[in-house]
Amino acid sequence: MSTVKILHMYADMLDLYGDSGNMEILSYRCRMRGIDCIIDKYSIDSEKPDLSQYDLIYIGGGADLEQQHISEDLLTFRDQLKAAHEAGTFLFLICGGYQLMGKFYRDADGNDIPGLGLFDYYTVAPNSRRKRCIGNIVIRTEITGKQVEVVGFENHGGQTHDVRTPLGSVLCGNGNCKNSPSEGYFEKNVIATYLHGPMLAKNPEISDYIISYCINRGQSDRVGLKPLDDSLELACREVMLGRLLKK
Amino acid sequence: MKRIQILIGKIIVKLLHLFRRNAGNLPGIVLWHITRHRCCSMFRVDCPIIAVTGTNGKTSVTNCITQLFERSGKNIIINREGNNLDTGICSLLLRHCDMKGRVKADYLILETDESHVPVVYSQLKLDTLVVLNFFRDQLDRNGEMETLIQKINGFCKTFEGNLILNGDDPNTARLGRANPKNKNVRCFRADPYAFATDKIFEASEGRFCPFCGEALKYDYYQYSHIGKFRCRKCGFGDYEPYITASDIDLEKPQFTADGHTYSPKLKSIYNVYNMTAVAATAKLYGIEQSVTDSVISNYTVNNGRMENFMLGDRKTTLNLAKNPVGANMTLRVMNEMKGEKELLFVLNDNIADGLDVSWIWDINFSVFERVTRVVTSGTRAHDIAVRIKCSGYDAAKIVVRPDLDKAVAELASTEGRKFVIANYTAVQPTRAALKRYIAKHGGKVR
Repeated sequence: MSTVKILHMYADMLDLYGDSGNMEILSYRCRMRGIDCIIDKYSIDSEKPDLSQYDLIYIGGGADLEQQHISEDLLTFRDQLKAAHEAGTFLFLICGGYQLMGKFYRDADGNDIPGLGLFDYYTVAPNSRRKRCIGNIVIRTEITGKQVEVVGFENHGGQTHDVRTPLGSVLCGNGNCKNSPSEGYFEKNVIATYLHGPMLAKNPEISDYIISYCINRGQSDRVGLKPLDDSLELACREVMLGRLLKK
Repeated sequence: MKRIQILIGKIIVKLLHLFRRNAGNLPGIVLWHITRHRCCSMFRVDCPIIAVTGTNGKTSVTNCITQLFERSGKNIIINREGNNLDTGICSLLLRHCDMKGRVKADYLILETDESHVPVVYSQLKLDTLVVLNFFRDQLDRNGEMETLIQKINGFCKTFEGNLILNGDDPNTARLGRANPKNKNVRCFRADPYAFATDKIFEASEGRFCPFCGEALKYDYYQYSHIGKFRCRKCGFGDYEPYITASDIDLEKPQFTADGHTYSPKLKSIYNVYNMTAVAATAKLYGIEQSVTDSVISNYTVNNGRMENFMLGDRKTTLNLAKNPVGANMTLRVMNEMKGEKELLFVLNDNIADGLDVSWIWDINFSVFERVTRVVTSGTRAHDIAVRIKCSGYDAAKIVVRPDLDKAVAELASTEGRKFVIANYTAVQPTRAALKRYIAKHGGKVR
């Protein structure tokens, strides 16, 4: 039986907008296929984990105060996270988790809060409430090898710049910045995004991309995923895509 | 200038009444524009104002406090229709003021939206602010929780009137320290009830001490993050309670506060907290004990908050849940009940609900016990269906019926006990659909 080992970092602090739902969805889709899915949680006061033990590391979004609390702690994982990323561990990062992996975060007063610098992008807090990006969002991505629309909800002030390899192009909503053509950051083992909803709720193909990557990582023979009955998810997508993309 | 503004406002109220339209908010919106966003500043209110705010329970507590004064023979003004923004309060005062903007009453009792407390009470002098709790609610509208608390905290820094705070919610208890000079801070709290836990059960806010950043330690959780907390580093959470609910027995239901035993009608821990806030207000204003007794023991609700219906011979309970805490509460009540049952969940994403429905993922559906079928409805019927499915509930037992009448018919098509959860804009259409079913097929509204 295949196993997917997940480390959910700061689960008790970065859990805004139902982001923990992503873990519930991955775990559900593994369970339905007989894949063993182990989710460990790490929080500031628990023992420091060995990141190389995991197939996937997940960090959700949080309120500003919570994000400040964890950013210092997260910096202590910089080398471990870099090594894990290079070794092919999947990084799944939402909102605050996305921002913190960049070069820096410039707050509204112009102070730079250092990020982990895993990736080249950086984020600037807007000087006006009007720049806050709130609403339903649809992006189109090709990460699975074919065009897929991804439906979610965005709610972020930070404007992320210098993203070289975005996750997708924006069909409806804002994306990395106000009225940006692109959303998120992508590498074959990194999905970093502003999408909440939670992100995977209406996007089973993205969930399966992640699961497939994790179970095939380091294997010589590629294992396919047993198809699941996604009729509820598909009906849900149809309603939202119909509503958001009709002009 | 002020007189002209009041005149314009009054004319709009009259016109709306003439055409039989609701004057609850529109006159205030017009005045908000012509007064440069200070639409409550033109009134002169000489009587004490009592405001009630918080995420859950505002309407109940406002109504009970109103009854305290009404039954004491006082002349009061209250925003009954729940128009609780600055524009709604302005519209209310326009209907009650004279041409000079003077408002005559013994007390003004105003349910006030959390985000509008600083706006309204920088313009009107406030006597007492009652703060019930702060939970995740419509994050896309209010911004993040912390921003909201900071706004009210900023107001409390210079506020010298009475503060009645939920001492078991760190998010509200912290307001008591905003103005160290204010000696009029009073906290209410409650002893653990039968279903209190030593671990947190539902997603929540405020796990850290707002003053020193240390993780808060809890003796017990009543629900969500409400419970006996303390910061071991700086002592936040140490206070002398003004009033404590003890000997809580929800079976009867009954609780004791300040030596008096109350027998409320509603069987929930949420209601115990709300009624303790009412008792605290009564104590502060010296209301006669017999009046407080009768208000607390007679208070019940019939507006989609634990409201009972008979769909033919099927007993059905409807409850409003506009956030995860409300929904988790209904699931608890449902689970604590013996026997099999079915659930209808109606989820809308209209502007007043908040466009973001991701809060449903903070509802703990894994606790489902003896739930034999789930029907979903509303503009986001599919979202809630997916949510419940991914919690591990058998997808074959979930029926999606976006149309409400069809959903109610589906629910009523089988025998047994029924529960209905509806979010904010869904609750009235759901009541209407339940009543239409009853009118056609029999049953009753109780």
